[in-house]
Amino acid sequence: MADSERHPFLQGLSKHRGAPPTVVVIFGASGDLTARKLIPAIYNLSFDNLLPADFHLVGYGRKPIPDEEFRTIASNAVKEFSRRELDAAVWKRVAASTTYVAGGYDEKAGFDRLAEHIKDIEKGVGSEVQALFYISTPPSVFFPIIQNLGASGLGGRYLGKPHHSKVIIEKPFGTDLDSARALNAELRSVFEENQVYRIDHYLGKETVQDLLVQRFANSIFEPIWNRNYIDSVQITVAEDQGVGTRAGYYEESGCLRDMIQNHTTQLLALTAMEPPGSFEAEALRNEKVKLLKAIEPVALGPDKDMARAQYAAGMIGGKKVPGYLEEKGIAPDSSTETYAALRLSINNWRWQGVPFYLRSGKRMPRRVSEIAVQFKRPPGTIFPQKEGFNLAPNTLSFQIQPDEGLSLILNAKIPGLDTRTQPVKMSFRYATTFGSNTPEAYERLVLDAMIGDGTLFIRGDEAETSWALYTPVLKYWRSQGPKGMESYAAGSWGPEGADLLLTSRGHVWRQP
Amino acid sequence: MPGIFEALPGIEAPVGAISRGLARMWEGAASEGKPSPPSEHAKAIQVNFVLHLGLNTDAADAVRQFETAVRFSRRYPSRVVVLCPLHDDTGVSEIRAKVYGECTLGKSPGDTRCCEFVMLSYPRWARTNLENQVSVCLSTDLPLYYWAHRFSEAARLADYRYLLTTARRVLIDSATAPADAIGYAWPRPENVRDLAYARLLPIRQSIGQFLSRYPVAALSTGLKSIRLGHGADVAAEARILLAWVVDRVAAAGAPAGFPATAAPGGPPGSFELSFGYDGGKAFAWKADMATGRATFDADFGTGHTVMLATAALLLPENALSEAMFF
Repeated sequence: MADSERHPFLQGLSKHRGAPPTVVVIFGASGDLTARKLIPAIYNLSFDNLLPADFHLVGYGRKPIPDEEFRTIASNAVKEFSRRELDAAVWKRVAASTTYVAGGYDEKAGFDRLAEHIKDIEKGVGSEVQALFYISTPPSVFFPIIQNLGASGLGGRYLGKPHHSKVIIEKPFGTDLDSARALNAELRSVFEENQVYRIDHYLGKETVQDLLVQRFANSIFEPIWNRNYIDSVQITVAEDQGVGTRAGYYEESGCLRDMIQNHTTQLLALTAMEPPGSFEAEALRNEKVKLLKAIEPVALGPDKDMARAQYAAGMIGGKKVPGYLEEKGIAPDSSTETYAALRLSINNWRWQGVPFYLRSGKRMPRRVSEIAVQFKRPPGTIFPQKEGFNLAPNTLSFQIQPDEGLSLILNAKIPGLDTRTQPVKMSFRYATTFGSNTPEAYERLVLDAMIGDGTLFIRGDEAETSWALYTPVLKYWRSQGPKGMESYAAGSWGPEGADLLLTSRGHVWRQP
Repeated sequence: MPGIFEALPGIEAPVGAISRGLARMWEGAASEGKPSPPSEHAKAIQVNFVLHLGLNTDAADAVRQFETAVRFSRRYPSRVVVLCPLHDDTGVSEIRAKVYGECTLGKSPGDTRCCEFVMLSYPRWARTNLENQVSVCLSTDLPLYYWAHRFSEAARLADYRYLLTTARRVLIDSATAPADAIGYAWPRPENVRDLAYARLLPIRQSIGQFLSRYPVAALSTGLKSIRLGHGADVAAEARILLAWVVDRVAAAGAPAGFPATAAPGGPPGSFELSFGYDGGKAFAWKADMATGRATFDADFGTGHTVMLATAALLLPENALSEAMFF
């Protein structure tokens, strides 16, 4: 919305300072994500004075919890997980408007009670209040929550007005194309698309947003951002953790669903999409969908475009760790992949012939997410390699986490009488330039949803397009069972089959 | 009573060897076990920042503004040059320099950020040299911001023309500057920002968010008057706030010509804004900066609403960043 179209008393203020009176309802209020991310995000938004004065937080869950106890749980979450220390005055403000409603997710009466509670809040506020529903529950209860939001009338509040009801839904948005379509159909039966905010917290990361700025606010990159100059792109989302306490979930999910289909693919889309016409939500999301649709189907089969593996026993940080099949809660004959790598081809004018390598895995040597754009080697006419010149391909790498920043490999002359060359690294580090106390992804995303900005959220067709790409891979792997499943030692960069994806094209994986 | 240059912290260094002075300063800090840059990377610079302490600045005020610049630099690492002009009658015949540095330790070693400050004291005759001297202290190619604190003589604008022209923003504070300072012939008036306006951001946001819940017609129809009572210590902010409110209600369609009055004499740090209407409508907002509390009391024909809210002016360092970057 253009500034001139806003209410006169909001014109000239940043859009993030114009949230209307809002009640945020968290389904799954006693869950891990709520404690680790959502409550601290709301606290920090309040700290930064970005919440409206009429802000209310309502926890909803099956377990009966008195308001005061919920406030204590919430303040403990802030103490433990917030990026800032708990400030008593700020917390007092948040706590004063924090309440809890107990009810089942499939219990219509519970949602009716919630609706009454919101009406009471609204009466106290004295004007219409926006309701933002945050579904932070296991996917098994997505459907009853959505249905009851519809049946209770909560989903349709103030339709047609900017402060209409909104719903934030956490991944997974389905487990394959069919289930994604079913979930979208269920959402559409209650909500308009512009009421739905599918959250992929990677898009809320400063460095991911900076990727857009680097690409589209610097004129030096766009002319060379194509197959004429770029040799290949590697996108890595690596974790050093094992499956931990999420064995039940992970067994059903696996690496492709857990990391590649969403986070890694979002990084790919932002790296490779065409420049959008504007920074408006639909313009950006249209370009992402166009890019995803241009990706050629993954070639299935051994020695094709994919590799999968499970971690075996190994060492992380100098300590022995068990293999996936020895982890608690994992079936000894599990064929769930903890590592996946793909070689993708994008069939459009810009990228034809440029391989995009995606990989993600658990129990890799370190937690790191990066996008590395490798440029073509310079012609060695002046400094030929056979005469001992050490020339590296220029590589621009975006470090998403940790050590957020950007680095560029250039070739430089080694000081001395002889002309000798050596690759050198030029770095920009977020923390040293901007400090590390920047907003968490969830702060940005919750506030964006409150002001109705869907730019950093996944649109329904985007989720489906992504699933359309990966569902054949999932089906193929399921059909193969454990056949073809490789293993890699915990603490290593992945299996041999993943290396072959690259070496067959003359490339090697980076070890970031 | 010391001059402002003497009152500011730092180590005196020869003007021709400021870089060496900075290097020695960091070596000294390291040898004393104080925080110092672990590498060149730690001396990150986002912006060049000139703090010009005008001739009406006294020593205590200079230290206050310097400390504000330091706090600003912790968040936005800057190369800061502090200009300390001397009165014409001092008889001083040289430019003097001081260097100061400070490191902020972050959550990790890679998050250590160190900033460098150069203070220059100079008589007016040195103005032809001054801009060149400042240029060698700044980081090439990065944007320049210029804070003209208590800059009070339009006739001296020409002394700083190059810096004022190249600055992305020039900041003044109408709470301390002469009343006509905003109207000086600044080389690029479109880049001049008032820190008093920036300080009002949370107030504008709070009032804006509250009033934006009502249709514009409810706010503007029947509006007869606007009154803003305030404490004497927030007179500049009150003047700006009143102008903003009048401008916004006009944008909401209120007919021109209604009286809008500022009424000083309230308790320190207080504001009392009220709209007078024909009929039963009413709006009042009372705020006390000392307690940080405000109350909205409104009835625009859809029911009487009383709401508590927070109220605060931006801290000086936050007002700087608001005026500079937004």
